[in-house]
Amino acid sequence: MARFLARRLLFALVLVLVVSSASLVLARLAPGDVSAQLGPFASPTEIASTRARFGLDRSPAAQWTLWAGRALRFEFGESFLYNRPVRGLIGRAAANTAALAVVALAAATLLGIPLGMFTGSRRGAGAALVRGASLVFLSVPPLLTSLILVFIAATTRLFPPGGMTTAGALEVGWSAWLLDVAIHIPLPALALALPIAATFERLQSQSMTEALHQPFALAALARGVAPRDVIVRHAWRVSLRPICAVYGLAIGALLSGSFIVEFVTAWPGLGRLMYEALRARDIYLVAGCAAMGGLFLAFGSLIGDLLLAAADPRVRERQAA
Amino acid sequence: MLVTAGLLAAFVLVMRLGRDLGRDGVSGGGGGPAARGGQIVASIRGEPRTFNRYVAQDQTSEALSLLLQARLVRINRATFELEPWLAEKWESSPDGRTHTIHLRPGLTWSDGTPLTSADVLFSLRAIYDPKVESVLADSLTAGGQPLRAAAPDAQTVVVTFAAPSGRGVRLLDGLPILPKHKLEAALTAGTFASAYNTTTPPADVVGAGPFVLREYQPGQRVVLDRNPRYWRKAPDGSPLPYLDRIVLQIVPEQNAELLRIQSGETDLTSTELRPEDYVPIRRAEEEGRLRLIELGVGPDADALWFCLKPEVKGKDPRFAFVQRPEFRRAISYAVDREAFAETVFLSAAVPVWGPITPGNPNWFWPDIPRYPHDDDRARMLLREIGLEDRNGNGVVEDAAGTEARFTVITQRGIGWYERGTAVVRDELAGIGIALEIAPLELGALIQRLQACDYDAMYYRPVFNDLDPAANLDFWLSSGSSHFWNMSQKTPATDWERRIDTLMLEQAAELNPDRRIMQFRLVQQIMAENLPVLHFAAPRMYYAHSARLQGVVPSVLRPPVLWNADGLSVSQ
Repeated sequence: MARFLARRLLFALVLVLVVSSASLVLARLAPGDVSAQLGPFASPTEIASTRARFGLDRSPAAQWTLWAGRALRFEFGESFLYNRPVRGLIGRAAANTAALAVVALAAATLLGIPLGMFTGSRRGAGAALVRGASLVFLSVPPLLTSLILVFIAATTRLFPPGGMTTAGALEVGWSAWLLDVAIHIPLPALALALPIAATFERLQSQSMTEALHQPFALAALARGVAPRDVIVRHAWRVSLRPICAVYGLAIGALLSGSFIVEFVTAWPGLGRLMYEALRARDIYLVAGCAAMGGLFLAFGSLIGDLLLAAADPRVRERQAA
Repeated sequence: MLVTAGLLAAFVLVMRLGRDLGRDGVSGGGGGPAARGGQIVASIRGEPRTFNRYVAQDQTSEALSLLLQARLVRINRATFELEPWLAEKWESSPDGRTHTIHLRPGLTWSDGTPLTSADVLFSLRAIYDPKVESVLADSLTAGGQPLRAAAPDAQTVVVTFAAPSGRGVRLLDGLPILPKHKLEAALTAGTFASAYNTTTPPADVVGAGPFVLREYQPGQRVVLDRNPRYWRKAPDGSPLPYLDRIVLQIVPEQNAELLRIQSGETDLTSTELRPEDYVPIRRAEEEGRLRLIELGVGPDADALWFCLKPEVKGKDPRFAFVQRPEFRRAISYAVDREAFAETVFLSAAVPVWGPITPGNPNWFWPDIPRYPHDDDRARMLLREIGLEDRNGNGVVEDAAGTEARFTVITQRGIGWYERGTAVVRDELAGIGIALEIAPLELGALIQRLQACDYDAMYYRPVFNDLDPAANLDFWLSSGSSHFWNMSQKTPATDWERRIDTLMLEQAAELNPDRRIMQFRLVQQIMAENLPVLHFAAPRMYYAHSARLQGVVPSVLRPPVLWNADGLSVSQ
């Protein structure tokens, strides 16, 4: 197990280094740079001074070397957009994205798995309706889902159309703040969760159908075990394997989906921060966000592996070896 | 299934609770009398990069500067009249070079320290300090030289111009006064440019504006509290501002901004509405939730221009005809401006023939030479410079076979830019000029602009000030905003040389009527040579929540917050 964790840690470090370095270099090589934020008619002196401040007067290789040296000391440079160190910005944004991701993943799990068990073990109009809805949510990109949800929020005024807290609600206690966040989180969380819930539903449904046709399930049914017990106690555990296998990928999908969802719903997370950084060619912030994104992905992958090991003893044995 | 049902039930319950919290947090009642206290939520599009206006010139910095700091004099953004502000009165010498300014008695900074003439001298010293590299320094010059200042006593400042300036004391509207006692050490240490940055503790950001900084949360909001030591009083003698607090919520996307105001989350938007937003806002107004205001015709118009830099384009065979005024006049004749206004701005625009629109009433010249829509006249002009469709492919070419085919770059994602370029392309196709449209991200667009790496560009340059003498960077051939041929060492053409001379004379002229006449000559030369083609200036509309009172809208940005000390909310 220790070797497995060590391998994973090494993988995480390599992933973070590669992703953040590639982001830095690509953002640097893309047309335009951060001096564009000074406006179209900034004076040559202003442009030169800004470029020098952010190391854009150096070659991409020299700039990467300088940045990588600092990054090893957990200094990711200064953001032009926010005029403050990148480290503090990504820490706060990552916490917000993590909160959103946890809620979205929980919602996707709590919606997708029970519905998959239902559609995998039943026939009829109800199951067909759920399957149809899943196909719709699988086909609709998170951008469209979030726009539709924001539109519904704005027109029905049932819940806030964006943000993490109510803009005017200041000086509130912890409980009121948590409630305020709880009011704001469903919109972005649903936009992220619906396609993942649909994926879980489809996988769980197919897997459940297969499990119910396995000899052990048929034997249990023949012995007179109630169908509900066969599904919940026997077939479900066996059918979990594909879900566990995609859990890590789902965490990665949450992060990539959060780029546009956080932007549309004004959720102050890593996705929105990176989107704005990319638009402004704020290369150190781009690299910092990418590093954090890589870390999320590695963490998601680890969680997926551990869940798979918990559900399948064969995997556990391979990891131990 | 039970878990799913439970989750949905909890969701509905939280939503109901949340709806109530949201209402308590932001929304107020409907109409009613203005009152003291309360807060408003306004959206801003960009993050503040600093609270030091001397080193930032984006819209957010300007809005924050108007809220946190004060000037000696203020140009009223609604009437364009000069108003005394920190200065109670002033006298100017007959030659317009010396201005004796008297500060109001009893002025204090937000931390209680007296505000004196020493602070004004310090502010000027900071602006011109080369280490500060202030973005305001160039606009605070007379005859190209910095202003000099002396302080005979704590209440008086004598400002001397190196040369007469037609703008006179109006020029000082661009000088936010900063506290010497807080910032002198930074100026001495050479760190003034990073002072008052976004990590400075809010209590240290001392100012003389109507509000003080309370908190800044990156990506979320800036919170400003009422400055209890603000000097200005309401007409009834009561202290201003009326509001206790302004929350500036950061909403980078304009659609999201619109939804926020429609849903009652915010009271104000940062900019005017887009033409396509008018209908949904009108509906909200009919329901009594919002007020829709027509600000009038905007002071800026979309523009099309070609790169006319001979050093870059001289070897391009198309430059031979692009540099001819007849070519650009033909384009001007070919575009039906009425139809352009209707299509691009959904009828909410007026045709224009130059950079100065009816939204700048002091300098607009209604009799500027015009180019009424006339395709035959356009074709004739093209023939005069040797451009005809010789091979029958619908595109005109010169005798050497060089076709009038261009790529026009514009900013991606801006609806009216995309519509505007499409209309111009279709209109020019009718006279045999082929345009291909290439929308680009802003960064790439600016890079192309600065390197003159484009054929033609469609964009809306925004003047910082309505007085043309404040925008010499655009008018002078040496200017960095003279965008068709920027930063020329010597004027490339005779007409640019004439404009240079006239603009420098106009900027130094003290007689307002003569300034207007000189500027009309400049507009005439521009209209004859058309280095930039303008087609329509949009009418500007603005929306705010119905509970907001005391709104004095302006066509300049920020449209409402410029007068934040007069805003209040109904009970």
